[in-house]
Amino acid sequence: MRFNEKEMISLSRQPSEKTAELGMRGPKKGDVVKKRLVKLVVNFLFYFRTDEEEPQGALLLEQCRVEREDRQVFSVAFLDEGERKYLFECDSEEQCLEWMESIIQASYEVMRKNLIFYRTEIHRLTGKDPLEQYGIEDETRFQVTSGLPLIPKDN
Amino acid sequence: MKIHKKILTHYLSCTSPVDKEGYLYKKKERTSSYHKRWFVLKANILFYQERPADRHLLGVIILEGCAIQPCECDGGLYTFSVVFRGPGLKTYWLAADDQLVLDCWVKALLTASHCYLSLLVRDLGTQYEAEAKRQTGLGEVPQPSTVTVQNPKVLNQSCSSFIIHGPVRKEIGSHRASHVLQAPLMASKVTNKKSPKLWPKRNAHVTPINGPVSTHGEWPQVDFDPLEDFIKLHEYYGEEVKQVRADWLKRRQEEEKHLEEDLIDLSEH
Repeated sequence: MRFNEKEMISLSRQPSEKTAELGMRGPKKGDVVKKRLVKLVVNFLFYFRTDEEEPQGALLLEQCRVEREDRQVFSVAFLDEGERKYLFECDSEEQCLEWMESIIQASYEVMRKNLIFYRTEIHRLTGKDPLEQYGIEDETRFQVTSGLPLIPKDN
Repeated sequence: MKIHKKILTHYLSCTSPVDKEGYLYKKKERTSSYHKRWFVLKANILFYQERPADRHLLGVIILEGCAIQPCECDGGLYTFSVVFRGPGLKTYWLAADDQLVLDCWVKALLTASHCYLSLLVRDLGTQYEAEAKRQTGLGEVPQPSTVTVQNPKVLNQSCSSFIIHGPVRKEIGSHRASHVLQAPLMASKVTNKKSPKLWPKRNAHVTPINGPVSTHGEWPQVDFDPLEDFIKLHEYYGEEVKQVRADWLKRRQEEEKHLEEDLIDLSEH
């Protein structure tokens, strides 16, 4: 399978608020925790071997489950057959929670749901579709689907 | 660099929305020949394979940091390119069977990037909060269930490097109308090709839900910081879309002119 590797590497070099050295453990039996520079860019989690310019790999953060494993440890599980789980060890509880939140919010699908919520609510509150001003109200990707939960979370 | 193919193929085959799919022609690298491929656009990823029913994924194109450029008609084909900005980075050459298909794909690809959606969500989120607080008078307003912590700082800074610096920033509010992106007028809605049975597809229903008409009339003037980056991004993409539309209209006019002439010359010669 081909992909735009050079372009991905270039993407991994973009500045990111979420960059940190974490302990990372792969999903296979026998994988051990290794120190990796982990960087969140768009909906990809890049990880670099220490002092290497090119990332070792990139994980697409869609269709995955983020879970708290321990006070300072979270996991990202990819829901294909076999459910591969990656473990990340942080330096503090705060860092762990921040990373979990960032990874969840980085998902394109999560952002899409947020957009649809805001679009519907703004229309309900004002009678106007906020996407019309940008001429993108007909774009498939921004459509409200039936069955999508639009009930806001109660604070 | 390892891209974890299985995660990508899983994302392709799962029930997340398909944003666009159909046949396009892709120019093979280092040759001038175009090959027909089945493309599926999901989020900011463009997947391609030989046929819809294929299990074998030929490749993916991650659509970040690229510009979509419609091109001159190339020997009967309606071409456009996906240009990655940066030294040594690729350009993908794609083509469609007709102008309509091309315009549809260009429009879909223009709004595909994560950066774009991120800015759009931020923009709408701000509008929503301001409006909801205004109407309810509450300090906190209901958030979508997917948002647990409101943290504007989490917004990807990576977006800023992809913004083309456009004109000087303008006022928001009543001037918003001037930024309206004129969507290309399509003669008829393009229907998606029949989706392969492999991927269950959700139906895209027209939105939004018709709410009650606002009692306070005009869109309220909200004092919030203009989203400079987003406006510039929109204007930049807007220019491309306007150009595509202008070209399409021009071509249509030319075609109509040709239709008036006889197709076949039946005169003696």
